[in-house]
Amino acid sequence: MPQRPKILLVDDEEAITENLASFLVRAGFEVSVAGDGLEALQCMAEVEPALIILDVLMPGMDGRAVLRKLRDEDNWTPVLLLTQVGEASERAMALEEGADDYLNKPFDPQELTARIRAILRRARPGEPPLASAWKLRAGDIVLDRRARRVVQSGQEIALTPKALGLLEYLMTHPDELVTRERLLDVVWGWDYPVGTRSVDTRVAELRRMLGEDAAAPRLIETVPGQGYRFAMTVEVAG
Amino acid sequence: MRRWLPILSAGLLGMAFSVWMNASGMPNPVLYARVSVSVLIFLLGVCLSTVAGAALLLYEWVERRQANQALTAAEERRRFLQRLDHELKNPITAILAGLANLSAADSTPSQGEVIASISSQVQRLRRLVADLRKLSDLETRPLECGPVEMDVLMEEAYALIRELPAAEERRMVLTIPRAPWPLPAVHGDHDLLFLAVYNLLDNALKFSGQGDTVELRAYEDGALVVVEVADTGPGIPDMDRPHVWEELYRGQTARRIEGSGLGLALVRAIAIRHEGSVDLRSREGQGTVFSLRIPVGEAGNPS
Repeated sequence: MPQRPKILLVDDEEAITENLASFLVRAGFEVSVAGDGLEALQCMAEVEPALIILDVLMPGMDGRAVLRKLRDEDNWTPVLLLTQVGEASERAMALEEGADDYLNKPFDPQELTARIRAILRRARPGEPPLASAWKLRAGDIVLDRRARRVVQSGQEIALTPKALGLLEYLMTHPDELVTRERLLDVVWGWDYPVGTRSVDTRVAELRRMLGEDAAAPRLIETVPGQGYRFAMTVEVAG
Repeated sequence: MRRWLPILSAGLLGMAFSVWMNASGMPNPVLYARVSVSVLIFLLGVCLSTVAGAALLLYEWVERRQANQALTAAEERRRFLQRLDHELKNPITAILAGLANLSAADSTPSQGEVIASISSQVQRLRRLVADLRKLSDLETRPLECGPVEMDVLMEEAYALIRELPAAEERRMVLTIPRAPWPLPAVHGDHDLLFLAVYNLLDNALKFSGQGDTVELRAYEDGALVVVEVADTGPGIPDMDRPHVWEELYRGQTARRIEGSGLGLALVRAIAIRHEGSVDLRSREGQGTVFSLRIPVGEAGNPS
């Protein structure tokens, strides 16, 4: 049996750490718990976790500060942020500060394990995650996340903000099945029942604008009945 | 104070002028009488304009105060919704994790039933939290605006609502005017407008029964596109009507209906963000018509 990945779970709510820890143990992880930011930083050395689950809103040193401190010290242990605020700017900030991914509270525990597995599969030890790079390249497409621009073979592609948000999330999570619900949560910040159809509409727009053949897409694959997957290799562009 | 300056200076100038007229008109008695009358009239005018100015200022002050109060009330409500949303998130997260532990563990069939029942209630709370966030978010989030073809949007919403089991038990009708011209496009956020129309339809399904008719229709008058959702349900009692748009309000007939209680509040918030409005007409025992009015966008004006 392969070694169980070590996870450091940081949240100030005991009800959450207790329940989540036993759930994660059941899901096949080894779990350590820290109750606040300082404790988390102390634990880091002893535990050497493969991944940190970090709550953003904590008294004292909050999740963002912990994340910044780690990244400043060139520590690229994968971090999954548990965010509270639904606003798009806040969510974007989570990625900019070098988090590998994030989940909005409240979330389904199954979604958490899916995220954890995806991050661990993707993780390149000691290197910054794609999610913290400003410029990404996949084939002839370059995404400038700061300028909110997409350039294909030197030509700028005019995308609506939502289509761009979709492309951004898919490109920062390549080769990963991303459900429509997840995309809705990430890009729209909402999870209304009619929304999954909006996701399909925007993906269609994205494919059209990027000159994709919907029958045989190179970039964004449809996973029938589940969601989408970014199929091309993504690298950090200089 | 600056507003008083013109009135004051006009008064002072006039006063000086009449004093001078008085002095220079003294030798001639006829002229003197005329000047006195004109001075009197002038003073009367000054008094009147002072009173009018004061009334105007008072009126403005009262109005500003009321507007401020309304603004603070709206802001307070928004903050309250946000805080409530935050406070609910952690416990729900913990319960979801706890439930996942329970259902993963071996449980007897009767325990399984209890777990399923708790799960469905937690999902309900979760929807409530999600809707609360939408409401507070709606007032501040930037709209992603563009021309929205309302007829296409209505067809999409209609198609989606027909997938619900409840729709199969109703007589569903979609009426979109096409002659002599199609519905004009409105300027707005497609996803939000879609949500508004969908919520109205969903609401009509919830508050009608087997065999009832639910109709989605629209018309325009050049300035507005009016989308109506009509149902032959039980109607809304008089006393409930003004309140159905309020957050979490449940009328007498709505107690047993599932839902977050925020669907119509969201519709209203979306209409307001689009500089439109909502309205309803209802007759007890006959049914209800909800209407959503959205101004026609520049893109939709045929010239």
